[in-house]
Amino acid sequence: MALRMIMDESVGSQLNLVTGCVAGAVKKLEGLGLDEATLFNVKLCLHEALVNAVNHGNKSNRDLAVRVVIKADDHEIIIQVTDQGEGFDFSLIPDPTTEENIGKFHGRGIFLIQSTMDSVRFLDGGRTISMVKTFNKGM
Amino acid sequence: MDIDLEKINDITLVSLNGELTVDNTHRVREAFKKILLEKRPKVLIDFDKVPFVDSSGIALLIEIVKGFAKINGRACLCHVNKKIVAVFEITKVHKLFGIYDSHEDALRSF
Repeated sequence: MALRMIMDESVGSQLNLVTGCVAGAVKKLEGLGLDEATLFNVKLCLHEALVNAVNHGNKSNRDLAVRVVIKADDHEIIIQVTDQGEGFDFSLIPDPTTEENIGKFHGRGIFLIQSTMDSVRFLDGGRTISMVKTFNKGM
Repeated sequence: MDIDLEKINDITLVSLNGELTVDNTHRVREAFKKILLEKRPKVLIDFDKVPFVDSSGIALLIEIVKGFAKINGRACLCHVNKKIVAVFEITKVHKLFGIYDSHEDALRSF
């Protein structure tokens, strides 16, 4: 089945715009018939990717935007979040679950995305994160 | 995010109502700072009405737990929904938190 566009939206680089964008995406995703846990995880990953793009990608520069593209069919959701920053090497992010990092206040966003999505790729020098979640409709 | 405070003997019950995310961690942090200033070192955080937590919310919870431990106190959680517990387990921060099913179990733990 062909993927259909669920959302293609640009968001300003302000953290207070993230929640509204995520809520709008979740409303559209609810129609796909995801189970509660999958919808929760997709929401979490979109939220974390957007916060990263605003904070670390665009460094909260209000002149820059974050683009969110979500496509889906009956079995998978593909989410791409793209910032306009300088890019980032995601291989440098330390494992937040080790003894020395577990009590730290930062560094869990990307780890949560990698742990809960089925596939995660960083494109264009780290400016785009592409995430895939597969699901069984009606489960 | 609504924050309700109730004193149960020497324990402060903090009931959060809403998503705990980067949007409101500042407000929640300020509420817990006030409890620390009042030198009430035992805190139970009720998550019954918290449907969603992001990594900033997790970081704040770590900050709160560490903050109360520093004054020889303790902050723990109750009524945490399964999806949030799963997030805690993925990041292993559940090892840092006391998580209880009920008020009674949590209050007994102090």
